[in-house]
Amino acid sequence: MTSTSLTLASGRRLFRSENVTPLLLILMVAVLVIAPLVKIVLVTLTPEGLAAWQSVLASPLSENLWWRPLLNTLLLGLGVAGGCLLLGGFLAWLVVLTDVPGARFLGVLSTLPFMIPSFAAALAWGTLFRNSRLGGSAGFFEVSGIAIPDWLAWGLLPTLIVLIAHYYSLAYTIIAAALSSVGADLIESAQMAGAKRPRIFFGIILPVVTPALIAAASLTFAGAVANFAAPALLGLPVRMQTLSTRLFGMIETGNSERGFVLALLLIAVAATFLFFSDRLVSGRKAFVTVTGKGGRTKRFPLGIWRWPLFAVAVLLGCMTTVVPVLVLAASSLAPQSGELFSNWTLHFWIGEGGGAIAQGTAGIFRNPVLIDALWNTIKLGVTVAVITMVIGLALAHTIVRRKGTLLANVLSQLAFMPLLIPSIAFAAAYIALFGAPIGPFPSLYGTFALLVIAAAAHNLPYAVQSGRSVLGQVSADIEESAKLTGAHPVHRMLVIVFPLAIRGLLAGAILVFVKMVRDLSLVVLLFSATSPVLSMVAYRYASEGFMQFANAITLLILVICLAASLIAQGLQARVQKWKQS
Amino acid sequence: MNTLNTSPPDAIHIAGLVKRFGTFTAVDHIDIAVPKGSFLVLVGPSGCGKSTLLRMLAGLDDPTEGEIAFLGHTVSNGVGGVLSDPRQRNAGLVFQSYALWPHMTVANNIAWPLKVAKWNKPMREARVAEVLSLLGIDALRNRYPAEISGGQQQRVAIARTIAPKPAILLFDEPLSNLDAKLRIEMRSELMRIHRATGATSVYVTHDQVEAMTMATHVAVLNNGRVEQFGAPIDLLREPQTTFVATFLGTPPANLLPVERRGDSLVFGDLPLASGALAPGLATAQLLYRAQDIGVGAVEGRPSIAATFSEAAPIAGQTMVTAMVGDLRLTGLVDGYFQAAPGDRIALSFLRDPDAVFTTAGEKVAR
Repeated sequence: MTSTSLTLASGRRLFRSENVTPLLLILMVAVLVIAPLVKIVLVTLTPEGLAAWQSVLASPLSENLWWRPLLNTLLLGLGVAGGCLLLGGFLAWLVVLTDVPGARFLGVLSTLPFMIPSFAAALAWGTLFRNSRLGGSAGFFEVSGIAIPDWLAWGLLPTLIVLIAHYYSLAYTIIAAALSSVGADLIESAQMAGAKRPRIFFGIILPVVTPALIAAASLTFAGAVANFAAPALLGLPVRMQTLSTRLFGMIETGNSERGFVLALLLIAVAATFLFFSDRLVSGRKAFVTVTGKGGRTKRFPLGIWRWPLFAVAVLLGCMTTVVPVLVLAASSLAPQSGELFSNWTLHFWIGEGGGAIAQGTAGIFRNPVLIDALWNTIKLGVTVAVITMVIGLALAHTIVRRKGTLLANVLSQLAFMPLLIPSIAFAAAYIALFGAPIGPFPSLYGTFALLVIAAAAHNLPYAVQSGRSVLGQVSADIEESAKLTGAHPVHRMLVIVFPLAIRGLLAGAILVFVKMVRDLSLVVLLFSATSPVLSMVAYRYASEGFMQFANAITLLILVICLAASLIAQGLQARVQKWKQS
Repeated sequence: MNTLNTSPPDAIHIAGLVKRFGTFTAVDHIDIAVPKGSFLVLVGPSGCGKSTLLRMLAGLDDPTEGEIAFLGHTVSNGVGGVLSDPRQRNAGLVFQSYALWPHMTVANNIAWPLKVAKWNKPMREARVAEVLSLLGIDALRNRYPAEISGGQQQRVAIARTIAPKPAILLFDEPLSNLDAKLRIEMRSELMRIHRATGATSVYVTHDQVEAMTMATHVAVLNNGRVEQFGAPIDLLREPQTTFVATFLGTPPANLLPVERRGDSLVFGDLPLASGALAPGLATAQLLYRAQDIGVGAVEGRPSIAATFSEAAPIAGQTMVTAMVGDLRLTGLVDGYFQAAPGDRIALSFLRDPDAVFTTAGEKVAR
């Protein structure tokens, strides 16, 4: 009796008018995030689905469908995590804790590789290292007379190198942030105890930044496991399959159920690793740093190693940023893809069709498909950025203002779920849900709308995060003090909230825009011939052997991303004059 | 040199010490010496160079010029920099931020320096237990720093520092992150520990009350120089500069600028004292303690009209602050005193000035 009336009362409370917005938001997030996942699970539980489970996991096919791709995926994930920890950790140590010259410059240099999409690095690798084993034109080295063995041209090792080159800057960012929070006092108190440098490093610094190391390892692992572009470009030609390329192949060839099964398994692999690493860190009070003054960091003198280590760091940065871009640029100008620096022509950019070069294909700026793809890409980036930021801001506002309530907790958990799901698997789930008509709604498969919805959903965690930091800029006090002057809400919004929030909003929107413009793993499944995007066109060209076109388009993508970042910076400086010094 | 001398060498001997950062001189020719077992307090406003001096004593920074000797051994000098590292100089430092290692329990925080110093396990465990109980924190031994309060962290930091039995204990504003009540409690706690360990201590603070209550020796620092060095009582009684006179003591002493008119020293139009107090000076500053200034006119004593600004009762008396023009004067009256801010009151100078200083702030010899 009592319990029922209690539930009724709380039920009524739950549906009060002030809760309508959060409930609507939960419903929306559920449709965006949960529904596709539920649907993909349900699809694999139909008779066809169950058969797919069997063929993937327990049949003569399963070695090729599941075990080998799994092994390759895990090798890539662990290798990338390890390599990124070493490189990123080394650079972070160098920049934060030593007196290396040009630390600020090295810091910026070390964050750049992450800006370059992994398929750009993969294409650059191919342009330099591909050998003639598979036919087609050879890469720069082989043409220059340096024989490139298969293991360096194709497969696991090049994929690994390309992915490390892409993800180490992520590890760098995380570890550097952690190292700079290790106050000089912590190190000096160890010095006072008489500890020597190695002892301080292994006894104090390393344990204190362990959570950051684990976070860096798990994020780079998850990134590598989910990556599609690098293994597709460097592995597929020699039949090296990962879970993501397998999943793509299954859906491409119409074996959707098998593809869905592989998507679920890929989610499981990524989520397991993230879950256990989270478990390892959370709940241990040992990792909460106690800081009093802090801020100051201790810089160890490197002695005669200052300049050699500086040179190593600069070399690393150049090899992973400048060199790939230069290779792509040279390749897009070279008629023979192996001879990077001879007979340069602008044909691949602006040449007319029908000539002798490139089997008569016109340059990218004369190719209507490409112009179309360019606009589609920008349209996709802008639409997704705007939509995600609006949703993200609404979610963040609800989560922050109702902190501690059940609704807020559910909402933030839901909004962060896509972080656990590799984007190609997320795309597969969207195909499972929207690939067929739902009731009166037509099938969305292959439409621009589906791509936008899926992308918005997948970017939710980033959007909520930037929404939160935006709201952090506008404290309740600031808004209330404006309220006390009697200003109208709209007036307040325009004069107080907007100028303070614009920086964070723009930063978040640009992040999403850039992620979309250079994304391949989401669009590779959801794109359609009627609405092509640049990354997909580049991938198509690369798989067909038109390396110059692929490289030119990739450069175009890089330029768009760079321009977006510059515009954002310019706008910020214009709006927030008080931040200029 | 010290071998010729029969008296034991100074525990800490600082001579001609200079520290420059670029063109900025943080520590400017400092000379201080204290015997074994003293409690030296370095006090001064922020930026006076006291923390820099402490870091040089700890061996974390090297001096630009001059020398530091512990018990007759030179540990740092301007030529060779840090000659003995922190461990070799047998010194321990308690940081303002406590600097507890977040990934170690309380017991491990205390044991780690002993481990580094290669103490064997039974000795380590015995010593950890000993300092834990000395600081009254036995119950916290298995907690992590993040799980205990600020005051408890402070105790752990002290326990960790004294565990290896350093001959010299250094404290960098250790109480500044604690609330007022805890600060007073820890003050007596630190003095108890100083007695228990017998270690020569150097204590940096900007709080003159801490300096006055804890020190056997006080060095008042300003702009990188020692304004005055001596026993706390002597500094209070015989301040050598106006900086020391106004920095130390509660309530702060009053300084009145005066000029010679005829045979008198005159403040505004009020003759305050005989010109003989400032021989040969056209202008001077007179020091009056709060207890030498009363409220209301007193027969035969000079008095001046002032604008009441605030009254603070302390221990049965009331500290009355009033303004004469831009000058803030503080007097002391028995019992409670009440007035509204802006009221006109009379302040009278009950005794002759306690000391006379030049306009530049140097004491005028009597």
